[in-house]
Amino acid sequence: MIAESGHYALVLALALALIQSVVPLVGARLNDAALMNVARSAALAQLLFVGASFTALVMLHVTSDFSVANVYENSHSMKPLIYKITGVWGNHEGSMLLWVSILALFGGMVAAFGNNLPLSLRAHVLAVQAWIASAFYLFILVTSNPFLRILNPPIEGRDLNPVLQDIGLAVHPPMLYLGYVGFSISFSFAVAALMEGRIDAAWARWVRPWTLVAWIFLTLGIAMGSYWAYYELGWGGWWFWDPVENASLMPWLAGTALLHSALVMEKRNALKVWTILLSILTFSLSLLGTFLVRSGVITSVHAFATDPTRGVFILLILCLFIGGSLSLFAGRATALKQGGLFAPISREGALVLNNLLLTVACAVVLFGTLYPLAMEVLADFKMSVGAPFYNLTFAPLFALLLLAVPFGPLLAWKRGDLLGVTQRLLAAGVAGLIAVAIVWGWAHGGSTLAPLAIGLGIFVIAGAVTDLVERTGLVRLPFATVLQRARGLPRSAWGTAFAHAGLGVALIGIVCETTWNSEYVATMKQNDVAHVAGYELKLDGLFQRQGPNFREMIAEFNVSRNGEPVSVMTPSKRSFTTRGSSTTEAALLTRGASQLYVSLGDVTNEGAIAVRIYHKPLVLLIWWGPVLMAFGGMLSLSDRRLRVGAPKPARAKQRLQPAE
Amino acid sequence: MTLWFVFALMTVAAIFAVLWPLGRGSGGSDDVAGSQAGEVAVYKDQLAEVERDLAAARIAAPEADAARVEIGRRLLAAAADSDVPAAKTSVTWRRAAAVLALLGLPLVAIGVYMPLGSPLLRDFPLAQRERGANMTQSLENLVVQVEQHLEKNPADGRGWSVLAPVLERLGRFDEAVRAYRNALTYNGESAERRSDLGEAISAAASGVVTAEAKAEFERAHALNADDPKANYFLGLAAEQDGRKDDAAAIWRALLAKAPADAPWRHLVQTSLVRVGGGTMPALSDETIAASKDMNEGDRNAMVRGMVERLASRLKQNGGDVDGWLRLVRAYLVMGERDKAMGASTDARQAVANDAERLRQLNEGLKTLGLDG
Amino acid sequence: MTRKQRRMTIIGGSLAVLALAAALVLNALRDSIVFFSTPSMVAEKHLAPGKRFRLGGLVQPGSLQRGDNLAVSFEIADGSAKLPVAYKGILPDLFREGQGVVAEGALDASGVFKADTVLAKHDETYMPKDVADALKKQGHWKDDYGAKTSDGARPAATTAQGNPQGAVR
Repeated sequence: MIAESGHYALVLALALALIQSVVPLVGARLNDAALMNVARSAALAQLLFVGASFTALVMLHVTSDFSVANVYENSHSMKPLIYKITGVWGNHEGSMLLWVSILALFGGMVAAFGNNLPLSLRAHVLAVQAWIASAFYLFILVTSNPFLRILNPPIEGRDLNPVLQDIGLAVHPPMLYLGYVGFSISFSFAVAALMEGRIDAAWARWVRPWTLVAWIFLTLGIAMGSYWAYYELGWGGWWFWDPVENASLMPWLAGTALLHSALVMEKRNALKVWTILLSILTFSLSLLGTFLVRSGVITSVHAFATDPTRGVFILLILCLFIGGSLSLFAGRATALKQGGLFAPISREGALVLNNLLLTVACAVVLFGTLYPLAMEVLADFKMSVGAPFYNLTFAPLFALLLLAVPFGPLLAWKRGDLLGVTQRLLAAGVAGLIAVAIVWGWAHGGSTLAPLAIGLGIFVIAGAVTDLVERTGLVRLPFATVLQRARGLPRSAWGTAFAHAGLGVALIGIVCETTWNSEYVATMKQNDVAHVAGYELKLDGLFQRQGPNFREMIAEFNVSRNGEPVSVMTPSKRSFTTRGSSTTEAALLTRGASQLYVSLGDVTNEGAIAVRIYHKPLVLLIWWGPVLMAFGGMLSLSDRRLRVGAPKPARAKQRLQPAE
Repeated sequence: MTLWFVFALMTVAAIFAVLWPLGRGSGGSDDVAGSQAGEVAVYKDQLAEVERDLAAARIAAPEADAARVEIGRRLLAAAADSDVPAAKTSVTWRRAAAVLALLGLPLVAIGVYMPLGSPLLRDFPLAQRERGANMTQSLENLVVQVEQHLEKNPADGRGWSVLAPVLERLGRFDEAVRAYRNALTYNGESAERRSDLGEAISAAASGVVTAEAKAEFERAHALNADDPKANYFLGLAAEQDGRKDDAAAIWRALLAKAPADAPWRHLVQTSLVRVGGGTMPALSDETIAASKDMNEGDRNAMVRGMVERLASRLKQNGGDVDGWLRLVRAYLVMGERDKAMGASTDARQAVANDAERLRQLNEGLKTLGLDG
Repeated sequence: MTRKQRRMTIIGGSLAVLALAAALVLNALRDSIVFFSTPSMVAEKHLAPGKRFRLGGLVQPGSLQRGDNLAVSFEIADGSAKLPVAYKGILPDLFREGQGVVAEGALDASGVFKADTVLAKHDETYMPKDVADALKKQGHWKDDYGAKTSDGARPAATTAQGNPQGAVR
């Protein structure tokens, strides 16, 4: 009953979405309030039914109902409860259901909290949301239905892929989807604006917080996924420039650009058309990401071949929405009112440069992701575009961006003073140069670019600090005034500083990890000692342990430094009987921001075990950076004035920025 | 019956969600204000929010003033060019929407659900299943139970010995290999177990006697020089290595020692013909037809074994057009059309350099009904 | 500055950034692209020693040999040709004989492929895409591979690495 009710709820959601995509538009055309209001109740009901459907699937997984094919294929009665739940979205069908659930959630939120939106705008936005929803409901029901049943239920399931039986799966995909799908709101607003032929005042007010919410989740989702890959895959890599990762990076880059251009639109009423285009592009890239991951074009071409409907269907959705929205843009954008004027050297100008670099960097990633596919289709030869390509293309562009980051917040709106800003950034620049000199003198080996990159990271962090110092008047003014000013400083200013500093922090982590990472790979016997980066790791022995649905071989290492015992590390290898596969569970020892990383290979005939030990200096900064960025985003989101949507007070601005 | 009741309830709720705003006429007062005033309402709302924030001391007075001024400016601009037409009520369209909800929604729901859903199938959660233990249990379910038992008692050698051949029969060769290994570990050495393990290993390698499998057969042979399975497979290994004379010698010795009624005599004899006479094993329709007398499992195993051997031989020596045609026909007889197509593609590639053979092959394929 | 001049500045700046990006991409395409090859393609093309490429195929059953200190050698076959591969390091969890594999490295003077990265398929239903395509082209495709979509969630393949760069999951 649960299974069939969940299935039927999903079908009802489709029916509601179909009504929601037509009736409100008719209402908007006729200016009939009742018809337009159908959008709201339909969106809420849709959320209710999709929620019920998702809950039903979770319950089926929890109760191990193997009469449902999806449960049979991805669950096992002896799996721990948490993985029974996370296993719901650890497979194609379930994860698509999560996707539409989140889409319905965002639609429901617009319906519930959009009381102050003009009625016709809300009707349009919800109708566009319903188009997306209908397409994906159909996709799920027709090609990837999670509620299909098995007539003679097997007694036991096939278990979830062991690599996915990890807490990372609980967090990473929902976060990522909240990010991906969150951009659908700005997309719907953009398409609604184009359809209405005007950009409402409510536009900037709504779009920026929603974009910010999506961006925060996407930032955390990507960082989380990267850390998961780092500790789960067993060889310490954290970013692979893999198409699946690029698929999440591209919306992030475009979303970051959107965030900044929406700022210009909100504060200065400029860059309207560009912001609309970015909204469309950002969500299109989210859709493209979904297509790349879900169609199987990249992970396994065979999935595409055996079930072509799935790939073709989602490609169709992709073309329909991207093509449709872009042609709508081409047709209507000129009709929109242009915004205000600004000088090239100004806050607006800096944000335009930011947008330019971010979108070009995004285009480079898009090129690197699609080029191999295109060559395969057109020229019939195969190649891979990996880290070396991106190191030569993406990295310089991003370095340029980072160099410009500290200037942006210090420039005044409308017309800035580059020379004055440079003077104020002198201290930050000197800090960066000192860092370069110190690293140069201290470090031995590694790329000559590494000290420069670290200097750049320090410059970005110091630039963010300079911004705060300037605004609070630290150094120049008495402490009490500073404190008062700091309290009066808008939270969005703090948010900007944190987010920008996060970039510098992540950069330093990336450079340290890739340049001074030490590695030790060998076979070890009991009581052998490995020396890595000043640590001694002694293999105490191998033990067997029985887990809930796996057997585990644990190696115990005693870690010491200069003879002083530090800790015990226990990496293990798990073998899962049902799938006949095994996973490597790496052991991590955190020392400050650095980590020791031990993972196991095979046992040789002589009873020795292959061991891989890394010392990764400052590796945690790679993820602290994005966390800091997300924290900055949350601070900015909590800024009251963002919700009010009122522009920054002109007088206060002059008082805070005397250089203007 | 409850299920249909639940469906009906859900459908009614969905219809209600659409009808409710229609029934409320022009909607609540806030909606009317919103629709009529458009932009202006937004700015008014913003002004009110500034006041609230100021009252709650969320923003400072100068900021609030500045915000009020800016919003006021925009409000005036918006009011100047706003000529929002008054909301209308179009009864016809509302009726149409109501009909759409009342008829269209259930029709779409039923129309989509009926072909996809299985409303007659009851839930089958684990808890319920364990209570009703008297259900008929298929082979696979029994395997699962044994596996669960072994998961908890991995040292039960007898369990592994029972499980291994069943897994092999089910085609789960890799797992069968593991099970045989465990059986060896916990039951101790024996020629039979060694050669069973070897057989499973080569089955997992699609019939190729790999070095690993060969090592197992050699161990079995060392334990019992007369073990028929070990001898047979050692012969097969020799054949696959291209040492046909050695293979023939091993099989001849095996046949000499074999009891007259040994069930595997025929298999060894055909193998011997294959290496001795240089002729191919006749995988003719007659063989397959004759095998119908055996029980189904044995027949399938036999046919599959022969087909696999043929396929692996053709992989090494692809120039044999007759062999390819036999393979394709065998697949067709077994009902595996996909594999047949795959084999014909393989064959075309293998003889692509030889126009004459390619012609022969294409003609042969045509008679088999496989064109292009 | 007039509106037109401002617009020209912005357009000029955009073009400069675009030109920079295009130059970077073209430069990178020249020497950072790694091609995919199968043993029979290697035999046909006579690839020069030292040229990096990816080699994909099935691990020849019975060819795996382990040497001292994690050195391993095996053969990659695609049905019509074989190529010996030498690798030093830990093989991925799911590396098995008879299974699909992709190795990255270069040929040495004696014609042995020196791999510094080995990628294996990630569960029993997933086949490295490159290998699947190549095998399919040659008709050695087995239908039971990839019967189910791989999950697409993050850790998608197990990898063994000699150096920490350039792997694609």
